[in-house]
Amino acid sequence: MKKTLFSVFVPMLLLVFAPLFVFGAGQKEAEKAPEPIKLGALYNLTGGMSSIDAPALNGAKLKAKLINQAGGLLDGRMVEIIGIDTKTDQKASATGAKKALSMGVVAGLGYGDTTFVMAAAPLFQEKGIPFVTSGATHPELPKWVGNAMFMTPFGDDDQSFAIADYTYNKLKARKVVVWTDNSMDFTKALSKFFKQRFQELGGELILEDFFMMGDKDFSAQISRLKNTSPKPDAVFISAIPNEAGLTVKQIREAGLELPIVSGDGFDTELVTTVPGPKLANNVYFSTHTYREDTRPEVLEFIREYEKEYGRPPENAFAPLGFDAVGLICDAIKRAGTTDKDALRKALASTMGYPAVTGEISYTRPSGVPLKAVAIIGVQNGKYELLETWKP
Amino acid sequence: MELKSTKLFFLILIAAGAILIFLMRSFMNEYILAIVNFIGISIILAVSLNLTNGFTGLFSLGHPGFMAVGGYIAAILIFPAARKGMLLPELPGWLASQQWPLLPALILGGLCAALIAIIIGFPVLRLRGHYLAVATLGFLIIIQVLITNMEKYTRGPLGLNGLPSLTNLWWVFLWVVITIYVSWKIKFSSLGRSMFAIRENEMAAECLGIAPAKTRLTAFALGAFFAGVAGGLWAHLVTAITPTSFSILMSFNLVVMVVIGGTGSITGAACAAILLTLVVEVLRPLEEFLGAYGISEIIVSIGLLFILIFRPRGLFGSSEPSFLVIRKKIGA
Repeated sequence: MKKTLFSVFVPMLLLVFAPLFVFGAGQKEAEKAPEPIKLGALYNLTGGMSSIDAPALNGAKLKAKLINQAGGLLDGRMVEIIGIDTKTDQKASATGAKKALSMGVVAGLGYGDTTFVMAAAPLFQEKGIPFVTSGATHPELPKWVGNAMFMTPFGDDDQSFAIADYTYNKLKARKVVVWTDNSMDFTKALSKFFKQRFQELGGELILEDFFMMGDKDFSAQISRLKNTSPKPDAVFISAIPNEAGLTVKQIREAGLELPIVSGDGFDTELVTTVPGPKLANNVYFSTHTYREDTRPEVLEFIREYEKEYGRPPENAFAPLGFDAVGLICDAIKRAGTTDKDALRKALASTMGYPAVTGEISYTRPSGVPLKAVAIIGVQNGKYELLETWKP
Repeated sequence: MELKSTKLFFLILIAAGAILIFLMRSFMNEYILAIVNFIGISIILAVSLNLTNGFTGLFSLGHPGFMAVGGYIAAILIFPAARKGMLLPELPGWLASQQWPLLPALILGGLCAALIAIIIGFPVLRLRGHYLAVATLGFLIIIQVLITNMEKYTRGPLGLNGLPSLTNLWWVFLWVVITIYVSWKIKFSSLGRSMFAIRENEMAAECLGIAPAKTRLTAFALGAFFAGVAGGLWAHLVTAITPTSFSILMSFNLVVMVVIGGTGSITGAACAAILLTLVVEVLRPLEEFLGAYGISEIIVSIGLLFILIFRPRGLFGSSEPSFLVIRKKIGA
């Protein structure tokens, strides 16, 4: 018995260890080959975040491919994206970051959520190697991590300010109700900044209501919304895509016609497909300047994405991943080297980079890019670009 | 004489481990070191869960809840006082001025986890089998909700980040040794035998004069203590901690480790912890090469199925490998 046990166990252990060493050796050999420029792309390709992160990695790989087709960078060096799946697990984020760093990447990119950036980016900061997040929008990220942290998207404060301005100035709303998904930091921050701006403008907050991610029934919140007095002029819903469609549907089904406003959590087809075109009315949200946009960068991106993957980009995170690689490669070009300090400086001095999701400049001391925000309106199930807000 | 030779053997093992760590720290890159650190933490968790699930047969899914308690307490105590104002402006003054070294913070985190285990253990441990599993799962969810809403202390869903990266292989190794040593001592003592007796047949054990309630509570609290310590180590390895860091998924992974290793076997739990943590990393290049992300989970699940079909008692059953055990009939 004991013998069989060990004859099973020892080979198993060997089997597990052997590839680790083979892999370790293989790594060294790869370094001798004509040097590609390696970028470590950390994304949650499996698990809860995969619907956000997988398109972003596709976008990133597409940009690298286009650059390589055009002859690469720095006299013909190819850009290689090392995609690392971190399984919607912070432990895997930390090991993934260390893996990327041990493979000699010149920069890291990744993630559509602050939680995971905070598990990975500080490790890049420690080494002074830049990390560009493609989709995390917390405006204090660069302050928390340090000078090696760069953001591709705008901060949550900007998108909240944009929709608050639009609600007050264009929709002429003076009294609002705010609904917040209380389970996520992103949605909480969005509400905080919206309330702050709306009250500064002179508007009034008459009711606050909360729900949790995964809620399916909003009838309690809707009845409170119906019965508040004075009557609200608009309702701000801070939610992520799953709740976006449901809230619109249930509010309209309850016979309420007031404008529904939100941030980029509403930037999803679910806002029109869940309620159906008849009910998807009078919805406004701020988001990345991408949807319904006709700038040449946007059209080219959509064309190339469809050619490569056989389907249109799933959401705004795909172009954001594309732009994150674009930002890094633009900085490498300007720096003329992949040296980390030069690259960090070049990234920090990015001015007017024509990204798919809008021009990016790092001129603020906070490290959050100065980027335009699009206001999209939905009428009869159709999306329309209404205005572009500039900070 | 034989007792002595076993002790000697353990000392040699510890020394060998220390030398190995010294060599790894000098020659391996940080990625491999990080994996080894996580393996160590997994060993602490699996072996301590084995105390409750394996020895005493209390099917607990609440282990990550205790990790969260220990992790948050250690993180708040260790965080540099100078930066606390920025991270947690609403923290009460007496707590904001604390800045502890790693070891006492880990121990206090572990003790708090054990205290909570004792408090919830009184009502919860009256339940049996899957009722207990569901109750401990409920505990895990309550802890997560509390952490999400106690924003003054925990910063809510955002979690604490920028923690000093204090955990290194030496600390992890120290706690691995302590955890295994304590479990080993318990297993081959009257307390351990009481635990096994309760697992096999509670009524018979009670007839023999064993106090099941006390023994179960001891096992539960001890497991929680080491989980709390592991939570603190985890937090200062990843350098960030959020309410979702310690999830239900993690409970299942830990239970899988105990089942694969053999419920009740310390060596088995430790080996399964090593195997399961490594296998995911080893299959990573394959995933990246094929572009088929998620394949490692499938392979691990299939492996688990095979083990359950062909070796339902786990790799080691309830026993330890013969060369480690004094020649006295123990356990199953």
